[in-house]
Amino acid sequence: MRQAFLGLLALGLMAASGLAQARAAEGERTFFPAPAQQARVLNLTAATDLEAMAPLIRGFQKTAPDVAVDFRDMVTNDLFEKAERACAEQRPEADLLISSAVDQLVALANDGCVLAHRSRETSALPAWANWRDEVFGFSFEPAVIVYDSRHVPPEDVPESHADLADLLRLKPDRYRGKIGTYDISKSAIGYLLAFYDSQQAPMTYGRLLESFGRAGTLTRCCNKDVLDALEDGRIEIAYNVLGGYAYAFHLQHPYLRVVVPHDYTIVLSRGMVIPKQAAQPDLARRFVDYLLSAEGRAVTDRQAFYFSAANPLPDDVTGPKALMASGIGRPIAIGSALLAARDRAQRERFIAGWVDVIGPGQSR
Amino acid sequence: MAKSETSLFARMVVRVAAVLLFGAAGLVVAAWFYARTAADVAYDRLLQGAAVQIVENLAIIDGKVEVTVPASAFKLLALAERDRIFYRVIGPQGRTLTGYADLQPDPRKLPKSDEVSLLSTHFRGSPVRMAIAGRRFFDPSFTGPAYAIVAQTTEARHALISELTSRATGLVGIMSLFGLAGAVLAVGYSLRPLNRLGAALRQRDPRDLTELAVEAPREMRPFVDSINHFMGRLGGRLKQSERFVADSAHQIRTPLTAISAQLNMVDETGLDQASREHLDRARERVTEMARLIHQLLSHALVIHRFESTALAPVDLVAVTRHAFRAAVPITIDPDIVVSFEAPETPVIVMADTLSLREAITNIIDNAVRHGAVARLEVRVRTEGETQAVVEVEDDGPGIGAEDWTRLTQRFAASSGGKGVSGLGFAIASEVTQALGGRLWHRPATATERFAVVMTLPLAPEAADRKEG
Amino acid sequence: MRILLVEDTHDVGEAISRRFGAVGHAVDWATDGEEAAAILEFTRFDLVILDVMLPGLDGFEILRRIRLAGNAVPVLILTARSEIDDRVDALDLGADDYLVKPFDFRELEARARVLMRRATVGEATNVIACGDVLLDRTNRSVRVGKREIQLKRREITLLEILASRPGRIFGKDELLDRLFGFDEAPGINAVELYIGRLRQKLEGARAKIVTVRGVGYRLSPDGEE
Repeated sequence: MRQAFLGLLALGLMAASGLAQARAAEGERTFFPAPAQQARVLNLTAATDLEAMAPLIRGFQKTAPDVAVDFRDMVTNDLFEKAERACAEQRPEADLLISSAVDQLVALANDGCVLAHRSRETSALPAWANWRDEVFGFSFEPAVIVYDSRHVPPEDVPESHADLADLLRLKPDRYRGKIGTYDISKSAIGYLLAFYDSQQAPMTYGRLLESFGRAGTLTRCCNKDVLDALEDGRIEIAYNVLGGYAYAFHLQHPYLRVVVPHDYTIVLSRGMVIPKQAAQPDLARRFVDYLLSAEGRAVTDRQAFYFSAANPLPDDVTGPKALMASGIGRPIAIGSALLAARDRAQRERFIAGWVDVIGPGQSR
Repeated sequence: MAKSETSLFARMVVRVAAVLLFGAAGLVVAAWFYARTAADVAYDRLLQGAAVQIVENLAIIDGKVEVTVPASAFKLLALAERDRIFYRVIGPQGRTLTGYADLQPDPRKLPKSDEVSLLSTHFRGSPVRMAIAGRRFFDPSFTGPAYAIVAQTTEARHALISELTSRATGLVGIMSLFGLAGAVLAVGYSLRPLNRLGAALRQRDPRDLTELAVEAPREMRPFVDSINHFMGRLGGRLKQSERFVADSAHQIRTPLTAISAQLNMVDETGLDQASREHLDRARERVTEMARLIHQLLSHALVIHRFESTALAPVDLVAVTRHAFRAAVPITIDPDIVVSFEAPETPVIVMADTLSLREAITNIIDNAVRHGAVARLEVRVRTEGETQAVVEVEDDGPGIGAEDWTRLTQRFAASSGGKGVSGLGFAIASEVTQALGGRLWHRPATATERFAVVMTLPLAPEAADRKEG
Repeated sequence: MRILLVEDTHDVGEAISRRFGAVGHAVDWATDGEEAAAILEFTRFDLVILDVMLPGLDGFEILRRIRLAGNAVPVLILTARSEIDDRVDALDLGADDYLVKPFDFRELEARARVLMRRATVGEATNVIACGDVLLDRTNRSVRVGKREIQLKRREITLLEILASRPGRIFGKDELLDRLFGFDEAPGINAVELYIGRLRQKLEGARAKIVTVRGVGYRLSPDGEE
C-alpha cells in the first residue's frame, strides 16, 4: 500500500516539477526522469547526499537518455540491513547500491550477495579500489578537519591529528563543547574512520579519543549533521568529515575552512555493488561503467566530491598538495581485510570503548 | 611410377614433434601438480596463521571468554586478494562467539588442543579451504576446548596454480620450439648427403656410367653401392654389346672379304660371255652386301653411342674432311669433278665424332653412288652466329620429296631390287636429330644443283668466341 | 716397290699379294703379328698393308711400334671391326690410310699407289702456285681458291708440268712423253683427254689452260689468252 502510494505521489510530483521528492522511513526518494522517451528505470539506492549524486546521475543520463533514475538516499546502516535482508530472502531490491561504508559492501560481497562486473573501466581501477570485480570504489574522499575560521585563531588551527589532540589538551576549556564528530555507534562511516584511525596510529588515536572525552565532544549521526552544527556555530571544529561534503560546505560558507591532516589522512573511496537479485544488472553495469569512465570521473572530481587521486588538493584547502604521492594519503583498501572491522565482537568492544571515553551525553 | 610417400624430412620432423609434444604435455602436467602443491602450501600457511592468531587472542576476562579478532589476521588472509573469508570462533559449550554461525565443520575434523587441522570443503556453495585451530582452556571458570575456524575460497590458489602452470607451459613451449627448431636443423643437416646424392644423380649425363663420386654416410652406402653396381652392370652390358657388334662385324666381314678376294682372283680370260656376266653379278652382289652390312653395323654403332657417349666439342671441318676421304674412292670415275670446300678455321659443334663422321660419310657415299654424274661438291660453312652447315651437292637427278621422306626412315630400301640404297640417310637423319640439327634436301633447279644439307647448331662457346 | 702385307686370312692375303705381284711389286706376306713385327725391325718397305685382327700382336700394336721406332713407312690399315671405340681411329694412331673390309681391290691398289708415290716424292717438295690454283706436292692436293679439288694421278702430273713454268707453251709430244712412260702406249688423243678433264676440274679458277693452236698448251695465271 505504502509503496503504491509513494509511487503515485512520485508520479504526481514528477508531472508537476519533473523532480519529485518524497521523504519516508526508507530514505529520501528522488526521481530523475529520462531526458528522452523513457524506456527503463534504474533503481539506485545510495548512502550519499543528493547534492553529490545529482550531477552524476544527470551525466549518466546524457549517455543513456532513455533511462530514468529512481534515486533513494539512505543512511549506511539502513542500506546495509536492507540489502542483507534482501539477499537472505532472495528478493530483488535496488539495481545498484552506493555506500561510503565500504566495509559493509565488502561484507555483502563476502557473503555472496553481489554480482561481478568486468569491463575496461573496472580493469583500470587501482587494486585497492576494486575487490573481486564486485565492489568498486569510485570517489576519492579524504577524512578532513573542518573549522570555523571566524572563531578559531590561525595558531589554533590543527593541521594534523597530533595537533588536534595537543590543542584540546592545552586549551581544554576554550574548546569544550566546540568539537564535533560522528557518533560511531550510529554512523557506519564514523565507525569505519575511527577504526582505521586506531589501526593507522593507535597512540595518536588513544590520545585523541581521550582529548575528545575531556573536551565534551559533540557527536552526531551523520556528516551533514556535524556540518550543520558547525554552521549553527554550536561547534567550531569538526573532525573526520568526508572531504567532498566538507568542501561543498566550504563553498557555501567560505568561513568554514578545510584541513587535510598532514601526518596521515585516511582516504575513503565510496563503493558500489550490484546486488545479486538486481532486476536490471545490465543497467547497473552501465551506471558503474559511466561512473568509472573519464566523463564520470570528471564529474565526480569537479562537481560531486571535489577531490581526486590524480589532481592536487583544491587551492583553498590546507594540507599536503600531493596527497597520494607523498604517502600521507592512506586509502581504505576495499578488500577482505575490512571484514575485521565488521566483526561483531570487535565492533561491540570498539564502540563500547569509544562510548566509554566520549560518553553518550552529548550525543543526539 | 612408385607412389610418392611423405618426405623423409617431414616424417622425421613430425615424429620428433610428436615426442616433444608428449614430453611437453608430461612436463605441463608435472608443473600443474607442483604448482598445486606449492599454492596449497603457501596459502595454507596464511590460513593456519590467521586461525592461530585468532585462537591465541582468546582470553578469559572476568570469567568470560573474550574474543578479539585481530585485524592482522584479516590482513594476512587478505593477501589472497580475491578470496572471500569466512570465520567462526567457538567458545564454551560450542557457543559461537563471533563470525559465521553456520560455518559448521565436520566434528571429526576438529583438532586436538593446540593443533591446527586443514581440510577442503564447501561453504555456502563455494569450495573453501578451512583451517581449524584449537585451544584448550584450563580456567576455573572454563575448562574445555575453543576453536577458531577460518575458511577461505580457493580463487587465489587457482590463480597461482594457473599462473605457475601457464608460465611453466610457456617455458616448456619455448623449449619445445627450440627443440623442434634444433630437430629441423639437425634433420635437414642429416638429410643433406641424400640431397647431394639426388643432385649428383640429376646432374649426371645419362650416358655417364662411371661410379658415383659422392661422399655418403654409412647408412647410405648400400644405396650408392647398388647404384654403382647397377651402373657397372649397365656399363658391362654396353661393353658386351659393343664387343658383340665388333666381333660380329669381324666375323661377317672376314669371310665376305675372302669371297671378294676369291672372286677377284678368278681368271676371266678363259670364261665365256655368260660366265663373265655371272661373275660380274656375283661381284656386284658382294659389294652390295658389304655395303648393307657396313650400314647395319654403322647403325648399331650410332645407336650404341647415343646411349654411351657424351657429346663433346668437335671440329666439323676435320670430321667432314675425314668422311670425304673415306667416302670418295680414289677409283672414282675420273670424269667427275670432286671438290671439298671449308673455312680455314675450325667449326665447332657439340657431337660424337664417330657418329657424325658416319652420318656425313653416308651422305657423301650416297652422292657418289647414286647422284654425281660429273660433279660432286662437299662444303662446310657457318650460317649466321649459330648454325653450321654441311652441304653435299651433286649434279645428279636428286631425290623426290616422297623418296626423301622414305629414305630418312629406318630400313628404307629402294623398292624393286634396284639395289639397296639402305640405311645411309636413316643413319644421317638419326644422328642429325640426336645432335639437335636438321637434315634436309635442296631440289635441283635451273640455277642450282641438288644438295643434301645437314644443319647443326654451333657449340655455345664457339658461338661466344665468334662474337667476342 | 717392296710391300709388307700382314694378313691372317689366307684368301685375302693371297688375292692381295697376287694382285700387287702382278703389277710388279715385291710382296712379303706375314700372317702373324709377332712375325710381322720381327720382319719390320730388319727390313725397309715402301708400304705396309696391315690387318687389325691378327694372331699375336694386333695391327694397332704393330703400327704403334713402327711409329715409335721412328719409321715413316706409309701404312694402310685394313679393318673388319666396327669403329666403335674412339681408340680405333687408325688415322689418329699414325696410319696413312685405311679401308674397311670388304673392300674393292681396285680401290686398295689405287690408294696403295697414292701412298707409295707420296713417299717417293718426299717431304722436300713444296707448294706450286699459279694464280688462284695451288698445288701441294706433299699430299698431292689441289686447291682452287678455297675449294679442294680431287685430281687423278695423271691430272696432277699434268698440272704439275704446266704449273712448273706458267706461260710456257708445252707441245703435245712433250706432254705425252712426260705423262706416260716409254713402255706405255697411249693414243695421241690421251693428252687432249687429260687436258679436257683438268680444265673441267679447274673450272671456276682464274688460272686457265690456254690452247695455242697447232703448238700446244700453256697455263695462264690470270686466264689471258
